[in-house]
Amino acid sequence: MKRWMIVLFLGLVLPGLIFSGGAREQKAEAKTVRFWYHFDNPETSVKPLIEKFERENPGIKIQAEMVAWDAYFQKLMTSIAGGNPPDVSQIKLWWQPQLVEMKALAPLDDYIAKWPGRTDVYEKIWELTRHTDGKQYLMPLQMVILYLYYRADMFKELGLKVPTTREEFLDVAKKLTRDTNGDGQIDVYGFGIRGGRGGHDYWATFVLSSGAEIITREGKSGLTTPEAIAANQWYIDLYRVHKVSPPTTPTDGFNEVIANMKSGKTAMTIHHLGSAKGMVEVLGDKISAAPVPRGTKGAWTSFGDEENGILAASKVKDEAFKWCAFLATAENNALWQKSSGQISINKSNGQTKEAQENRFMKASVESTPFAGVLPAHPKVAEFVESVWPATMQRAFLGQITSEQMMKIFEEHFFGKK
Amino acid sequence: MMQKSMKRWDLFPYLLLSPAMLVTILVIFYPIVRTFTYSFMQYILWKPKEIRFIGFGNYLKALEDPVFWISFQNTLIWIVGVISLQLLLGFGTALLLNQKFFWRGIARSLVLIPWVTPSVITALMWRWMYDGNRGIINDLLVRAGILSSYFPWLANDKTALYAIILALMWQGFPFFAIMILAGLQAIPETLYEAAEVDGASTWQKFTRITLPMLVPVLFTSLMLRIIWVANSLDIIYIMTGGGPGYATHTLPVYSYIRAYKGMDFGYASTIAVVLTLLITLFVAMYVRKILRMEDRGTV
Repeated sequence: MKRWMIVLFLGLVLPGLIFSGGAREQKAEAKTVRFWYHFDNPETSVKPLIEKFERENPGIKIQAEMVAWDAYFQKLMTSIAGGNPPDVSQIKLWWQPQLVEMKALAPLDDYIAKWPGRTDVYEKIWELTRHTDGKQYLMPLQMVILYLYYRADMFKELGLKVPTTREEFLDVAKKLTRDTNGDGQIDVYGFGIRGGRGGHDYWATFVLSSGAEIITREGKSGLTTPEAIAANQWYIDLYRVHKVSPPTTPTDGFNEVIANMKSGKTAMTIHHLGSAKGMVEVLGDKISAAPVPRGTKGAWTSFGDEENGILAASKVKDEAFKWCAFLATAENNALWQKSSGQISINKSNGQTKEAQENRFMKASVESTPFAGVLPAHPKVAEFVESVWPATMQRAFLGQITSEQMMKIFEEHFFGKK
Repeated sequence: MMQKSMKRWDLFPYLLLSPAMLVTILVIFYPIVRTFTYSFMQYILWKPKEIRFIGFGNYLKALEDPVFWISFQNTLIWIVGVISLQLLLGFGTALLLNQKFFWRGIARSLVLIPWVTPSVITALMWRWMYDGNRGIINDLLVRAGILSSYFPWLANDKTALYAIILALMWQGFPFFAIMILAGLQAIPETLYEAAEVDGASTWQKFTRITLPMLVPVLFTSLMLRIIWVANSLDIIYIMTGGGPGYATHTLPVYSYIRAYKGMDFGYASTIAVVLTLLITLFVAMYVRKILRMEDRGTV
């Protein structure tokens, strides 16, 4: 009887104890990193990368959530305020000042110092993403540089040269704006301007290259000098006086600008590699790219960046950094860009033959020397999201002058005088 | 002893109600109280150190804020425009659907389509229909010779708000149509028969029987609709984002932009509170007027 009981004990209870202990141990080991991201193309997936990472790092699980771009920033901000942010999030550089002000990001300097992959990331990206307090909060992930798209076939038809200065640009834009079927209506417009949200990049290309500065080196406003106001006037005139962009300009957003280009309604516009594949699918060889034209003071184009940040509230920072470092390593980063359609941040990926042959990639690389970002100021986020679009639209509609427009911007950054 | 048991019994209904009360308090009253509190605070999400009580600061700021007044004015145009158009179209549709014709059943279901279409789809659909470069509305107007060239309906500050009002008219008229239709069917046939015996004309039957009998239905549906329309944000936001400039800023749109684009929850709450007070005031006046009419027996 006793032996029977011992056997029963050994047979039933012990394995239970052993396995439950094991399970507990395993549970304690597996750590989950919550990751927020977005791709312009919602059909692309981050799953292969996650599987690769989880294979290489047993014990870490990545719980990825794709967040819609339009609501990304507000969702991130409210998740931080609500005390339940993700561990890792894709972050735009212009959000950084507000996030640092909220103490929402964890500084990564110690991690990066120990990370061997750091030397394979372009030095310029480290420079651009370092915060004004000297700390590095962001791990590079992807970049794009905005360039000029143009309809090579229309240029050829009219015998035009790709513009390199803003005067040449205006001249070409006027010639491209025309009635092609003789019905008295304009069928093609020279330049597709994005007047809605996100169009600040177009504005900055022409205005910041011709004497305007949002914040000068001395920390003052460079928005209301006569030069800056004139540069802004030149940009407003593209729509109001020269009428080289479609009548819908004030509210045209990303979708409209790209659709106008694809349908042949416009002959030039500005965007980045993210839309190149779609353009080629529709237009083939008819579409080409070049660096944006110079302004009166040199050239400026927007460096479109995206990084990964680790949230200060995260309890799995070590694991989170492993995931960020994994994505910033050449082989994996190249895979990521296949989904994002953007440029790798790794030096060793930039040397491939494909980069040399692709005309859009070439325009991006040629634009690198003058690619810039908006100043690291906490009010840039609101400027981009709502102040710029509403004010630009009012200027396009003739409700305010160039000077009034620049004064509104100045007040936004520096307060009322 | 008797009293004690009575007391216990008195509490019992409240005990049964408490789960529902608790949920109501949590999901309705708590956010309202929070919004009111925020409206008296400087509460900018990214400046956690500067969050503090500022009394009526935000309210005074609103008085001096030109965008607030533009939004206020647009809200009034929006409510009056949308409601009157929806009511007229809804009334007409209800009268038609009350007639006898062989496919009436199908017609009654079909008319509900705009109402059951999700707002996001309605907004995107109308945005592309109005599109200034390839929209079908422009195409039809140019083909019919009414316009000589495509017009940017949503990019022009003079037409944008009215263009959205038309889109919302389309979306919301079935609500009135169905409510009024239900009201029409509740009117006893005998009243019309009696009127006919007395020699009443069709117009007299409409003004003396149909309209007065419909007042309770109209009263309720108008009030509900005013509240919904005053609060609506999705369609405007998707169609124009409040632009061009401030042309389609209404109070809910402005509040949303302040909160989620400027992260200024204090000021955004103030705008929301002002809107709430305005609607409450309006509804209170409306209810009083109707009650008085009932007392006088006008209704």
